[in-house]
Amino acid sequence: MGPPGTDFERIFHPRRLAIIGVSPEGGYGFGNGMLLACRAMGFTGDILPVNPKGGSFAGLPIYRSVEAIPGDIDFAIVAVPAPAVPEALEACRRKGAAGAEVITAGFGELGTPEGRALEQQIREIAAGGIRVVGPNCFGIYCPASGLTLLPGADLSRESGPVAFLSQSGGMSIDLAHLGKWMGLRFAKVVSFGNGADLREAELLRYLTDDPETGVIAMYVEGVADGAAFFAAIRDAARRKPVVVHKGGLSEAGGRAVVGHTASMGGSRAIWSGVLRQVNAVQVHDLEELAQACLAFSLLPPRTFRGISCIGGGGALGAAAGDAAEAYGIAVPAFPDDLRRRIEALLPRPGSSAVNPIDVANPFVPPAVLGPVLRLAATDDRVELQVLISLLYHYKSQARAMGVPVAGITPFAELAETVAGVTADTGKPVVLVLPDLKRGSDDRDVSGMMAEAREAFVAQGIPVFGEIGNALRSVGHVNAYYGRRDGF
Amino acid sequence: MASDGVATAGRILLEAAGRGQRALAEHEAKQVLAGYGFPVTRGILVASREEAARAAAEIGYPVVLKASSPDIPHKTEQGLVRLDLRDEAAALEAYDGISAALTGHPGAVLVQEMVAGRRELAMGMVRDPDFGPCVMFGLGGILTEILGDVAFRRAPLEPQDARDMMEEIRGRRILEAVRGMPAADRGLLAEMLVGLGRIGLDHEAMQEIDLNPVILAGARPVVADALIVLR
Repeated sequence: MGPPGTDFERIFHPRRLAIIGVSPEGGYGFGNGMLLACRAMGFTGDILPVNPKGGSFAGLPIYRSVEAIPGDIDFAIVAVPAPAVPEALEACRRKGAAGAEVITAGFGELGTPEGRALEQQIREIAAGGIRVVGPNCFGIYCPASGLTLLPGADLSRESGPVAFLSQSGGMSIDLAHLGKWMGLRFAKVVSFGNGADLREAELLRYLTDDPETGVIAMYVEGVADGAAFFAAIRDAARRKPVVVHKGGLSEAGGRAVVGHTASMGGSRAIWSGVLRQVNAVQVHDLEELAQACLAFSLLPPRTFRGISCIGGGGALGAAAGDAAEAYGIAVPAFPDDLRRRIEALLPRPGSSAVNPIDVANPFVPPAVLGPVLRLAATDDRVELQVLISLLYHYKSQARAMGVPVAGITPFAELAETVAGVTADTGKPVVLVLPDLKRGSDDRDVSGMMAEAREAFVAQGIPVFGEIGNALRSVGHVNAYYGRRDGF
Repeated sequence: MASDGVATAGRILLEAAGRGQRALAEHEAKQVLAGYGFPVTRGILVASREEAARAAAEIGYPVVLKASSPDIPHKTEQGLVRLDLRDEAAALEAYDGISAALTGHPGAVLVQEMVAGRRELAMGMVRDPDFGPCVMFGLGGILTEILGDVAFRRAPLEPQDARDMMEEIRGRRILEAVRGMPAADRGLLAEMLVGLGRIGLDHEAMQEIDLNPVILAGARPVVADALIVLR
């Protein structure tokens, strides 16, 4: 939890939400945009727009001031021009709001004396008893309450274990949209922008204790207090996985470099060392971050040292072997009797079941893949299974038969089968679903692939687009739990 | 590793700062390290040819002669490190060259034992603007710059952090028994890494410590060259 007095419950799940800077004339201002977005999300509390002009917007009366709102407010979205922000925040503080997010830009990030002075005013008002997210941010997304990010009218309302802290607003909205179709479900996303008040260390401490959060991800460029951040992330990573994308790792100029140690110790090497020291998982872009979070949120909290790999085409198998080796994961060859029992199920010739298992063609039905997966799971060395499914090939069958591809691709049955295998064997199956036909003449395939993904995600099956990404993500899970739990 | 070197180090740093030095001379840096229990090469500062000859004989040939001056952090690049001097004639010739180059700079010529060992490591400390003192470990000698195969940890280090650093570098097999050379004394290496973090925390006045090379004399690491940069 934060310092005494910080009521994060009222910040993330406000029942009465003021939006300051809603224009009665409509238009595309941030205030109007946030109001419409919260409404579209089905925000569960009261929305209380504020503008000195009064009037109404979207059927809601606009209050002329924060003071004029009858009753209390829990949280406020502030979207007035920068010079008017301190007064608006102060009004929220006097009204008893637990917190406010300041969407407006034009503060410390400008590097001007005026910008810095305005940001200092925000800090002082915050110290008087209101917690501030921002300025220069996209705000908070909390699926449970319907609070949403700036351009986020259509984010998921399904809650899940992933929390994301981001200095970048763009990164926060990108992950929220990316996660929606990938199958990431969020507890809360906080874009904290300039971080005048609430920022990385304190938010990490809050999420460490937050029962809704199972995985913490963060995008960070710089930290306000290295020692506080180090202590907070170390404590967090002892409790739950922390996935970090550090941006701006190009070597810092302007620092004194005399000896070898300093010339080797640019921010890149030091950040990598620090993140390893606290057992945080370092990733290098947003997709790797999302994929790692998917693995952490859907796989059981343990290591997976050996895998089976089932797919069509020998090169896929070789790629799996190479990728597995890179992350220290074994693909143990099956004993002869098990190999023969699996091969008896597969089309001949062309298949082979040494592990990786080559199923020979992409049309092997789920009714066969299920028993193959169940047999492979009987090998004690196999702790996780990777199934590579080339569903896009059904386009050629659909074309030959003159029917829609979505109609003949058995993804729903495959999802049921895979979920059943995972549940019965206790060994998770990770799906690799290469999406290789993406041209404008293959929109039917793209549509089918999206439906297929949703079917797998609905069953809690982690889906990746490439074998390398899947195994890299499993590698992150192994690295984290291996070090945390000491094996 | 001994930590009664705090006072010694503090005194050396204070005196150096009083003289307006931006770095410690090698001999001063090694005194700081020795105070903290680091294994450093034996060395004697000399001010004449006679002293040089006497020091070399006392240490025993082969010896190394170096410039020990706060003005010259990169001695090798300027030809002011003369290795493997096998007799008095060679030592005196080196002395003449180095003392001529030192004209106009503070400092003196350092006569040092020549450490026998083919494996060179590097370690150090740098004060990071975000994280404060951070400790480095990696391959030493010219490989430090060529490969950049190094690992960092923030101080204070736990012994496990030091062991993790040794496992983290790509060239970690250099610490194993290879080509008839014994496995490195990882316990002592870990103590040195933990110690570097402690020195960084003890002395705000230090910006950077650069121990390169740390030579493995058999299993035992010895600091052959040391640079301490002041803030």
